[in-house]
Amino acid sequence: MDRQQEFVLRTIEERDIRFVRLWFTDVLGMLKSVAVAPAELEGAFAEGIGFDGSSIEGLARVFEADMLVLPDASTFQILPWRGESPGTARLFADIRLPDNTASAADPRFVLQRALTKAADKGLTFYTHPEIEFYLFEQRTSTDTPPVPVDNAGFFDHVPHGTAHDFRRAAITMLESMGISVEFSHHEAGPGQNEIDLRYADALSTADNIMTFRTVIKEVALEQGIFASFMPKPLANHPGSGMHTHVSLFEGDRNAFHEAGAPYQLSRTGKHFIAGILRHACEMSAVTNQWVNSYKRMWGGAEAPAHVCWGHNNRSAMVRVPMHKPGKDQSTRIEIRSLDAAANPYLAYAVLLAAGMKGIEEEYELPPEAEDDVWSLTDRERRSLGIDPLPASLDHAIHLMENSELVAETLGEHVFDFFLRNKKAEWAAYRDQVTQFELDQYLHRP
Amino acid sequence: MTAPTRGALVRAGFLDADRSGRCLEDLGDWATDEVVALLAASPDPDQAVLGLVRLSEAADGEDRAQLGALLTDQGPGRRRLIQLLGSSSGLTDHLVRHPAHWREVADAQPRDAATIYADVAGDVGDATGTTAYDALRVAYRRQLVRIAAYDVTSDPIEALPIVGESLADLAGACLDAALGIARREVEGADRARLAVIGMGKCGGRELNYVSDVDVIFVAEPVEADDETGAREIAGKLAVATIQACSAHTAEGTLWEVDTALRPEGKQGPLVRTVAGHAAYYERWAKTWEFQALLKARHVAGDAEVGAAYLDAMLPMVWQASTRENFVQDVQAMRARVEQYVPASESERQLKLGPGGLRDVEFSVQLLQLVHGRSDEHLRNRATLVGIESLMRGGYVGRTDAHELDRCYRILRVLEHRIQLSRMRRTHLMPTDPEQLRPLGRALGITRDPSEGVVKLWRDTARDVRRLYERLFFRPLLSAVARLSDDDACLSLDSAQDRFAALGYADPKGAIGHIQALTGGVSRRAAIQRTLLPVMLHWFAQEADPDLGLLAFRRISDRLGGTHWYLKMLRDEGGAAQLMARVLASSRYAGQLIEGAPSAVAVFGSSDARIPLRRNQILEVLRAAIERHDDPDNAVRAIRETRRTELIRVAVADIAGTLDLDTLEQALTDIAAATIQSALDVAIREVERASGDPLVTRIAVIGMGRLGGRETGYSSDADVLFVHDPRPGADSGRAQTQATQVVNRLRDSLGASGPDPSLTVDADLRPEGKSGPIVRTLASYAAYYQRWSAGWEAQALLRAAPIAGDTDLGERFVQLIDPLRYPEGGIDDAAVRQIRRLKARMEAERIPRGGDRRTHFKLGRGGMSDVEWTVQLAQLEHAHEIPALRHTGTYSLLAVMAKHDLLTEEEAELLGSTWSLATRMRNAGVLWRGRAMESLPSSLGDVRGIASLLGWPLTRSYGLQEDYLRQTRLARAIVEQRFYDSDLTEGRDEFPTPR
Repeated sequence: MDRQQEFVLRTIEERDIRFVRLWFTDVLGMLKSVAVAPAELEGAFAEGIGFDGSSIEGLARVFEADMLVLPDASTFQILPWRGESPGTARLFADIRLPDNTASAADPRFVLQRALTKAADKGLTFYTHPEIEFYLFEQRTSTDTPPVPVDNAGFFDHVPHGTAHDFRRAAITMLESMGISVEFSHHEAGPGQNEIDLRYADALSTADNIMTFRTVIKEVALEQGIFASFMPKPLANHPGSGMHTHVSLFEGDRNAFHEAGAPYQLSRTGKHFIAGILRHACEMSAVTNQWVNSYKRMWGGAEAPAHVCWGHNNRSAMVRVPMHKPGKDQSTRIEIRSLDAAANPYLAYAVLLAAGMKGIEEEYELPPEAEDDVWSLTDRERRSLGIDPLPASLDHAIHLMENSELVAETLGEHVFDFFLRNKKAEWAAYRDQVTQFELDQYLHRP
Repeated sequence: MTAPTRGALVRAGFLDADRSGRCLEDLGDWATDEVVALLAASPDPDQAVLGLVRLSEAADGEDRAQLGALLTDQGPGRRRLIQLLGSSSGLTDHLVRHPAHWREVADAQPRDAATIYADVAGDVGDATGTTAYDALRVAYRRQLVRIAAYDVTSDPIEALPIVGESLADLAGACLDAALGIARREVEGADRARLAVIGMGKCGGRELNYVSDVDVIFVAEPVEADDETGAREIAGKLAVATIQACSAHTAEGTLWEVDTALRPEGKQGPLVRTVAGHAAYYERWAKTWEFQALLKARHVAGDAEVGAAYLDAMLPMVWQASTRENFVQDVQAMRARVEQYVPASESERQLKLGPGGLRDVEFSVQLLQLVHGRSDEHLRNRATLVGIESLMRGGYVGRTDAHELDRCYRILRVLEHRIQLSRMRRTHLMPTDPEQLRPLGRALGITRDPSEGVVKLWRDTARDVRRLYERLFFRPLLSAVARLSDDDACLSLDSAQDRFAALGYADPKGAIGHIQALTGGVSRRAAIQRTLLPVMLHWFAQEADPDLGLLAFRRISDRLGGTHWYLKMLRDEGGAAQLMARVLASSRYAGQLIEGAPSAVAVFGSSDARIPLRRNQILEVLRAAIERHDDPDNAVRAIRETRRTELIRVAVADIAGTLDLDTLEQALTDIAAATIQSALDVAIREVERASGDPLVTRIAVIGMGRLGGRETGYSSDADVLFVHDPRPGADSGRAQTQATQVVNRLRDSLGASGPDPSLTVDADLRPEGKSGPIVRTLASYAAYYQRWSAGWEAQALLRAAPIAGDTDLGERFVQLIDPLRYPEGGIDDAAVRQIRRLKARMEAERIPRGGDRRTHFKLGRGGMSDVEWTVQLAQLEHAHEIPALRHTGTYSLLAVMAKHDLLTEEEAELLGSTWSLATRMRNAGVLWRGRAMESLPSSLGDVRGIASLLGWPLTRSYGLQEDYLRQTRLARAIVEQRFYDSDLTEGRDEFPTPR
């Protein structure tokens, strides 16, 4: 038992917290919450709180025993949107088996395991996500396309615009929850916004993303609008990605940096990129997990649909940003395929594992893509050795099914559940008769 | 005097006689015969004489003169000096720097704590800064040479406790002086009262020469309302105290002050109040932290605060054994004690590993924690005192306690002397003979000291390992069985506590069993009393100790007075241990043995655990049949023999002496011989009834795993029955007789009875259950002739005669060979049909609620997947590859690889997956006593199976992950090789972008 936990208990007493929510994430990336009374929290730190996980996606019993949620005291936060007093607080929790070993079904554990593996080699994984989302008018039905709150474009300043107020309120709330915001602006689509979180270790980032989504939705509700992280909500406007800048640190030293190398990128950095690229297709079902994800990916513009890397090439899947002199520690790479509806724990786990594999096996980095990949013809791309990412969820599932890397990283239980769930999703999607089909075929021959 | 010759020096024990000779010359008139003799008697004569020369050169006029006088004096002083010089080059260096300290050496006597504290404080005075640090270091070594000089001139074994106490007192005195320095340096020091609590060996007053000193700091404010300010100042005082001890100055350093045992370890605040500590231990502390507190002792600083701290803490220590998870924590701690030894050191470690110092200390502390709750006499700190109080209280036997005391002292003395030599912190036995020799001589081994000391150490470590069982389990027995007066006398309540702490789920039941086993004055009870402690220890190491003890009791009750039973367990090395493992890990074996207790002879010799071949079993069976004229008795004898053979095989399997192939062959032979004998009895019975020899000949064809010689514990015997009427016999009569024989055979083996039954299953016969149970060879031929598609012969691939008329069996094989190995292979339509059958089976055959992934036989990548892959290849290619004409599965994978029907890797993976599933299914039967068809979902079952498969219990979760991974990979191969589906085909590899 540690100080942090004592601090939590003391704060709860001092701040008159009446409700404590233990947050965890299911395999699909949905936030789940178990409410406990503050008095129970002390016991929860020591022994966890028992619950029946069988009704939660992917948590179906690995063993015939109830599971425990064990709160992580370092994630304690008072929730700002529930009014000041009596207050509500939340902690992220790990899912454990009765004898306190980690549950194989816990996405947070999947990421922890991947991080530990890297830590065994002396490396720490840092991530910095740029999260895009749309703000829409509030409405109850999904029969017609959603209506964005404004019609502005990239970086537009909308005077007294909803989005502007929204971002200010959201950022204030995020900061009050200890999540630092790096940057925020209006994105290219109408009603589309981007907020960048400050870089942190991958586990904190993943926790922060889960909190972020909740905060954004909460603030939107307060303002009478709603927020969506759907990868491609509007057919004719850009989708919402979650470009993530990643770097590896060896102690205090940025392992991607090498002074004097092209783009100041070290061998480690190059192998890491090579790993991401080589395994991009097979982990696509994790980084882009919904049917809809592939509509963003193949929607052109800034969404990357091809496995390649480039320097400041916004059509490439992996981008090596411009090096700023004197900022050696900030050498990093940007992975642009991820979308905003991914399960951040699983997505970061597979990205790290792929990169680490590249380092371990010293994959060779393919040549840089210098052109806008979208402007090339199929044949040109093939001659350049640039492969496409999967065209659909179906395709992605299929590639993942044969991936040893993904199986090993997710663990057999999550791997199997994930595949089964995604196959069901694909089947349900395929069973639709869409407006497109009616328009096209109803009157044909 | 005349200088000794070189030869004389060598004979005296100097190794480097040339250098030592020159040194003696340099010593001039100091080198009297007596001095030379003393030098030669020291552990390292060459070091000693060199040290003396260096000392004489370093000493100035006055000291030099007095040293000379000392060396001519007959008193004990000169021996102390010379012994010390020959024992420690580290301390010699100190004397050379501070020659005046020779007086401390010459005057060495154990002294009480107060004197040591006063001396060190006096030497440091009221200095501050570097002056104070230097003074502290010199004062420390001045006391240290005293203690060492006393140590090296005493019997080290006897002197050990006094030396450990003196070293701990010296550490306390230094901490106290260091705190004094800190108080003079930290501003506002008056506002805080700081106490230093010694932990670990310092707290236990059993310190080493060179080791970290474990402490905890406790502080209280002087003014009650000044807690925050006082805590800050106390923190500074603590840091300054540590600094004063650990800093390196021109005079070196004392030791590292280790504060990691404090609440929250390295993350926690350095200093807490008494209440702060109490709150932590009440709420958060783990079992090991209480164990650590057992050693806590006030060593420096404010005595009242120290006393308040101990008053608050110690009661909690003695309640620790009532905490939830105590047993699991202790087991985990024990595992940690035994594990963490780097492989490169495992041969040399004095401290870690089984039989090391930590092992002894842990065991003693565990007993103190378990029994100290109700007995205050056990609440003491030092290991040796702990051993003694455990003995006085009757918690361990007197002899065992003495033995443990002796071993612990020897190990500690070895550690002390190794450290003393160069004043280095090490717990490793040296390997260099030049270092071993003085070590042996220091322990009084004069002949071959290098080898002698290594032998002493190994013998001691081995004794310690044996002591575990005697310390923990023998007293349990005394408690229950009231052994002789000399021994331990644990109360029944204490015995229950201890059983629970050692992993028995039902201590009351255990006590009951032991009482029953050891009651009375018979010789049997007496042997049980000596046997049980170690049996209990072995049971406790397996997955289900209670089960083991229960089975052992039942068997012992049954075997009662059998003269060889207890003798075997007592005298045959390993018999009792193997029996304990088998009984506490396998319900299957336990149940078999309980029904035929005399089979325990199998534990007695490894020869008895070599499975019998089919013919050997048949020989036994034929003799039994001949002895029993009555058919029922004959059948009973057959089934008894089968049980005995199953026990033999199961025990050998659990003992780890059978590989999978041998096990399956053995189980197949048992089944085949059993069926053969039952057939013989059935024929005899029918012949007697008709008064004539049978008019037909009968053969039994093994199918499935039996035909493939891959039988498992839970396999039924799948067979076909075939008969062939003798020339001229009436076909109706022949059929009737054959049917009678077959029915009698199946009934006799399948009926319930005292011995396990064997289901003889003929469901694979033509027309299945609606067809006649036995057919003539001609009828089979006619039936098979109707087959046209080519796929129907799949079931026949594993058909092999196992009993009955050999010639007929052979003709049956000739009949089916063209069917199962069809010329030209089977056509595409047949292949499609087989694939479809398999696909349907996958959808339908898994029992309701079963998990498709975990079913051993029918699950994804399970045994069926592998078997069908092999069988399809046989149907297609056996006509061109004769090596494929075989009824097994595993061995054919290699054949397939050789003929490019699989890659080497694929064959390897399919083979290992099939073996894993098979082994897990077998282990499931052994563990639960009945068939287990899929991966268990209860933690207990997982542990049981993992332990039988040789996985460490702590990693048993990995079993599931491992199985799922292997079968997933195997399934991918089956998809490709059996279903011929290219996993990448039909996909949109180059989607058109928008």
